[in-house]
Amino acid sequence: MVPSQEAILAIIFQALTNLNLERDASSQVPLDVDTALFGGASALDSLALVSVISDVEMAVSDAVGEPISLTDDQALSQQVSPFTSVRTLCAYVLQLTHERA
Amino acid sequence: MSNMKTLTGEFVSLRPLGVEDAEMTLKWRQSQRAINLNQGAGTLAAQRAWISSRPDSEYNFVIELKDGTPVGMLSLVGVNQVNRHAEPARFLIGEEEACRGFPVAVEAMKLLYEFAFDTLQLVRVHGTIASDNKPMYKWQCYLGMKEEGRLRRHYFINNHFQDAICMGLLEDEYRRISLPRMRALIAAGRSNINKPA
Repeated sequence: MVPSQEAILAIIFQALTNLNLERDASSQVPLDVDTALFGGASALDSLALVSVISDVEMAVSDAVGEPISLTDDQALSQQVSPFTSVRTLCAYVLQLTHERA
Repeated sequence: MSNMKTLTGEFVSLRPLGVEDAEMTLKWRQSQRAINLNQGAGTLAAQRAWISSRPDSEYNFVIELKDGTPVGMLSLVGVNQVNRHAEPARFLIGEEEACRGFPVAVEAMKLLYEFAFDTLQLVRVHGTIASDNKPMYKWQCYLGMKEEGRLRRHYFINNHFQDAICMGLLEDEYRRISLPRMRALIAAGRSNINKPA
C-alpha cells in the first residue's frame, strides 16, 4: 500500500518528536513542513539527522511492507537533497513509495 | 602513537590529540553532552597526564572543521594487529553549535573507519554503548554496527547502573552498509549549503 502524503508527514513528525524527547527545551525542532533538516539553517547535526532518517526508514518500511532506504545512490543523485527540509524529505519518500507501487 | 598523521576529509579533519588540547577536551568531557560516557579526568593536570600517557595501541584525534576550529574528539583504541580489530571510542562532539547543518560527526567516523579498514587493514571494529545512550545506539546501528550482546549492569553512569551494549562491525559490512550511507549523508551536507568557513 502506498502511504498518503499526510501519512508520510505524520511519520516524519513522529521521528522529530522522538528526537525532541532527547533534546532540551531550548533545542526543540519545530514540527512544520518548512523546518530545515540539514543545511545552513538547520538545527540538526548529523547525529540528529541519522536519528530522524532511521526512524522514518523504519516506519515507512513497515507501512509499505518492504525495506526502504533513504541513504542510497538514488538519494545521492537527487538535484535537491531529500534532507533539506521536512517538505523535501516528504516528497522524496512519496516518490520512493510510488516507484515501488 | 608517534607516527600519527592528520586524516583529512571534505568537511573535517582528524588531527592527533596533543597535551595542548587538555583544557579544551577536559571542558568537553565535563559537559552535559558527555553524560553517557565513562568518567574522565577531573582536573587539568589529570587530563594532561592522561593525554601524555596514551599507549601505542591507541590513536586519539581531535575533530577539526576545515578552518581549524576544534569541535570534538574521536579515538581508535585497543588496536590489535594480530587479531586485526580495534575499538572506536571517546566519540564526543564538544561544540554542538558549530556542527549544525554539517556532516561533522558522520565524516569524522568515516575517516576513522577508513583508517581502521583501509590503512590498518583491520577486519573488525567493536565497542560498547551505555544502554541509556539511545541516540548513539541508533546512530551506530544505522551506520552498520550490529548488536552482539549485552553486559548487564556493567556501567555505573549518571548515578545508576546501565547495561553495556556490545556492538561490532565487520569489514564487509562497513563497505556494503556503512560506506554508502555515510557518503549519502556527507552529500546531503554538500548539496545545498555553504561549507563551514
